[in-house]
Amino acid sequence: MTVVEVLKTILRIGSNENFDLVIFEFRLPRIIIAGLVGIGLGIAGVVLQGITRNGLADPGILGINAGAGAAVVIFMFFFQVQLINADITSWLSILMMPLFGFVGGTVAATLIFLFAMKNRHLDMQRLILTGIAINSGFGALTMYISLKMNEKDYESAAVWMAGSIYNANWIFIVSMLPWILILGFYLYKKAYLLDYFQLEESNITSLGIDVEGEKIKLLLASVGLVSACVSVSGSIGFIGLMAPHIAKQLVGIRHQYVLPVSALIGAALLIVADFIGKTVFAPSELAVGIIVSIIGIPYFLYLLVKAKD
Amino acid sequence: MFILKTTFHRPLAILIGSPFLICAIALLSILYGTKDISTITVWNSIFYFDANNIDHQIIRTSRIPRTLAVILVGAFLAVAGAVMQGITRNYLASPSLMGVNDGSAFVITLAIVFFPGLPNYQMILLSMLGSCIGAGLVFGFGSLIRNGLSPVRLAIIGTVIGTFLSSIATAVAMYYQVSQTISSWYNTKVHTVDLNMLFLSIPFGLVGLLLAIMSARAITISSLGEDIAVGLGQKTKVIRFISMVSVVCLTGTAVALVGKIAFVGLVIPHITRFIVGVDYRHIIPCSLFLGALFLSLCDLVSRYINFPYETPIGVVTALIGVPFFLFLIRKFGGENRG
Repeated sequence: MTVVEVLKTILRIGSNENFDLVIFEFRLPRIIIAGLVGIGLGIAGVVLQGITRNGLADPGILGINAGAGAAVVIFMFFFQVQLINADITSWLSILMMPLFGFVGGTVAATLIFLFAMKNRHLDMQRLILTGIAINSGFGALTMYISLKMNEKDYESAAVWMAGSIYNANWIFIVSMLPWILILGFYLYKKAYLLDYFQLEESNITSLGIDVEGEKIKLLLASVGLVSACVSVSGSIGFIGLMAPHIAKQLVGIRHQYVLPVSALIGAALLIVADFIGKTVFAPSELAVGIIVSIIGIPYFLYLLVKAKD
Repeated sequence: MFILKTTFHRPLAILIGSPFLICAIALLSILYGTKDISTITVWNSIFYFDANNIDHQIIRTSRIPRTLAVILVGAFLAVAGAVMQGITRNYLASPSLMGVNDGSAFVITLAIVFFPGLPNYQMILLSMLGSCIGAGLVFGFGSLIRNGLSPVRLAIIGTVIGTFLSSIATAVAMYYQVSQTISSWYNTKVHTVDLNMLFLSIPFGLVGLLLAIMSARAITISSLGEDIAVGLGQKTKVIRFISMVSVVCLTGTAVALVGKIAFVGLVIPHITRFIVGVDYRHIIPCSLFLGALFLSLCDLVSRYINFPYETPIGVVTALIGVPFFLFLIRKFGGENRG
């Protein structure tokens, strides 16, 4: 399709049924999903890095993705009937998926912090290592459950697990939109707290801020964001790592500015990655998660080399 | 006297006891599986082989190679892990965490895509080359980064580079549309062990094992720290080189045989050290046997947790390995402990 045709279709000038189908049923939902997932992961990355005071924190690396993923696969396994049955129920179960993901993500986050916390102090490196362990643990669990599924469910679970968005449709958008909107707005309102968290803990307490309580609220909110993303697109790592760093390079360290910019950068990154995934290897498609890790890992290593501690 | 007792009796008990246990498990593993095959048929298939009998074929081409492969791979990976932990004085060192496994699988993937139909022995050599590359990348980055050779940093770098290599391999495989073949290398494939490959891998593995056992004394000295080792007149560079060759031989063959298996090389050396103490002359031979025992047990379990379907053996090792890994991190944190 040419640019003019695309514009005409979107602006509803002389619509053509075929173009409508391609644009509104295939391409547009996919781009919107990529954008929403990018926004969610970008925000969650900023919050996680702010809370842990660790520049290498990322929902994927910490294992929150894996936890949410395992929960969603468990959900797919137990409620397979609803997924195949009539429209209304499948709507319901797709809307339920982020909720299940949230439970799994929370379990993972709790485990990670329980293991990484020593004497009420979060050790950065231990945090990442625990994340690696949690990742492979939940990965094994997911594999085990997905193998117990019947073939049809397994197929859809496998495509989903690879971190892909090519089965995007409007139902998914509806199911994740409220999470992104509400939690995104909530976190934006709370972003100023992240500035304080960069100070020494005793200083923040003397400012009259309930440090532990606020941290837990922020953490839960970002887990919610991540779970909504994971339940739609599977596990996509490294966006939550890259976007905040790029944003901080652009607008400084005030979290009120970093957070929205990081969200937009996350969206841009994921849309571009998805575009690469579907064009470079055409006609076969590459899962967007793989593209993101190929780009993101060198960046991670670069950050490690640059880190000064 | 008491110290002598604990340091000598336990290794001896392991060295004498575990071969029997391994044989017992091997026997169980040949006798029991998804298909119900009677003991007499098994006996006949070994001594009065009948090529037309399907049960005989199953025993000969599937169950026996598989059992042997699992025993060998368990031993190889455990010894490789022990050697790595001793030389680097890093309690998290192990083939799967340090990118060694991923390197092998990566090179094998490229080989399958670009030079299909390579003979088996070349596969093993390539796989060894791959473990060299993986280890080289990880330790290279480790020395670039400040404090990068600390246990925790190195494990992080290893995992990340491993993910990177496997992502590229997946992308290449997808582009050339051979992902199915590739995924069988990445996800362990104990059920399709090739008998020729098995025989070919034995000499390579033996070289690795011999090197490891021969340098055991030197590894013990290295594990005391570089200064002490140099002070005691050890040629640390030579020892590092020899043990690296040994690790590469062992993991290269293991990956070429069954694909990636995580956590064996991490968990077994720790358990062994816990039982027999810190002397690598005891740790290396004992982890050899315990590794074989552990992996063959895991293989047996993997056939039964989701009967009649098999569960990938990596799931079983992860179920045991992950809690252990968490325990290690919690206990030791960022210290060096070899």
